Amino acid sequence: MAHQDTEKKLVTFRVKRYNPEGGERTRFSQEYKVEVMKGQSVLDCLNEIRWKQDGSLTFRRSCKSGICGSCAMTINGVNRLACETQALALGSSTITVEPLKGFAVIKDLAVDIDPMVEKLLAVKPYLITKTPPPSDAERLQSPEERARLDGLYECILCGACTSSCPSFWADEQYLGPHAFLKAYRFIADSRDEAPGEHFDALDDKHGLWRCHTIFNCVEACPKSLNPTKAIEALRRELVKEKIG
Amino acid sequence: MRALQRYRIHLGTAAWILHRLSGLGLILYLLLHIWVIHHLAKGQAEFDGIMHSFNNPLFKFLEVGLVGVILYHLWNGLRVTLFDFGLFIEKQKQVFGAAVVLWLATWAVVAYAMLTRVGGLLAAVVRAGGGGLS
Repeated sequence: MAHQDTEKKLVTFRVKRYNPEGGERTRFSQEYKVEVMKGQSVLDCLNEIRWKQDGSLTFRRSCKSGICGSCAMTINGVNRLACETQALALGSSTITVEPLKGFAVIKDLAVDIDPMVEKLLAVKPYLITKTPPPSDAERLQSPEERARLDGLYECILCGACTSSCPSFWADEQYLGPHAFLKAYRFIADSRDEAPGEHFDALDDKHGLWRCHTIFNCVEACPKSLNPTKAIEALRRELVKEKIG
Repeated sequence: MRALQRYRIHLGTAAWILHRLSGLGLILYLLLHIWVIHHLAKGQAEFDGIMHSFNNPLFKFLEVGLVGVILYHLWNGLRVTLFDFGLFIEKQKQVFGAAVVLWLATWAVVAYAMLTRVGGLLAAVVRAGGGGLS
C-alpha cells in the first residue's frame, strides 16, 4: 500500500498569465505538466514549475502554512489558498489557475491588493478607546466577551472572499466582505469604546446594503469564516441604532 | 458591470441569479398588467377586447409560469429575510432546499387549481367531502 502513496500522477496546470511588458503575448494561458504526488499542494506544484520549468512564472507566497494569505488564487474556478489545496484532491487531470478576480493583475498570478487594504483601513480596523487603560493590567474581557470574537478575529486578509463576490465585481468601490468581517470584529469587541467610528464607512451605497447574501464569500474563505453572518449582524446593529 | 467573471456557480449564487431573474420577470409582468388594466379607462368594449385576446391556451400556460416565478421570488425572498433576522445563516443551503420544496409544492397546487379551473376543483372537493351538500 505504501506503493500507492508514493505513486505520481501527471497533472496539467493551465495557468492564466499576464505579461505587463507586453510584446506579442500579453494575456495568455500556458500549460505545464507536473508529476504530482499525493499530498502535494497546488503551491508546491507552482513552485516546481517556477524552479524547474519556467522561472518567469510569477505568484505570491510566503508561509506555506495557510496563515499569511499571500497565495490566494482562483483554482478550478474557486478562490482558495494554493498552499492549502492538495492538487490530487481536486480530482481533475487539468487544474486551471487564475489570479484573483476583480483586482488589477500586476503579473501572472500576482494582483494589486492595495484597493482591498484601503477599504480595510476605511473601517478603522483597530481597537478604539476613549478611556485610559488600567494602570496595572490589560483591558480585561470575560470569557463570554472574548468568545464573541470567535469566527471574526481569524481572518488572514487573503482576499479570497472579496474577490469571489459578485457585488464587488459589479462595483469596484464596494467595501467587500473582508472589510465588514474586520469591522464587526471590533464593533463586537467589549473593549471598543467607539463602535460608531467603525460604522462610518459601512452605511454607504458602497457599504453594507450592497450585499445580496450570495454566500460566495463563505464558500471561498480558507479559514471557514462567515462574512455574511457578520454583514447581517452589522445591518441589524445599524438599523437598531438608526430607528431604535 | 465589468465583464462577467468566470467563477463557479455555487448554490447561493444560483439562488441569487434566479431571484434576480424572477424579480425582473415580475417587473415586466407588472408593466404588462398596468397596460392591460388601463384599457378600463377606455370603456367596456376596449377592456373586454383586450381581455379576450389573452383568453387562449398560450396565455393560460404563461399564467401558470407567472405563478411559478412569483412563488420562487416569494419563498427565496423569505429565505433571505430569515438571514436578515440572523436565522439559519450557517444552514443557507438546507434553507434553500426547503424553499425549493415549498416553491414546487405550492406551484403544483396552484397550477393544478388553475389548469382544472378553480370552480371545477372546488366542486370536486365538495362532492368528495360533503356529498350530501349538492
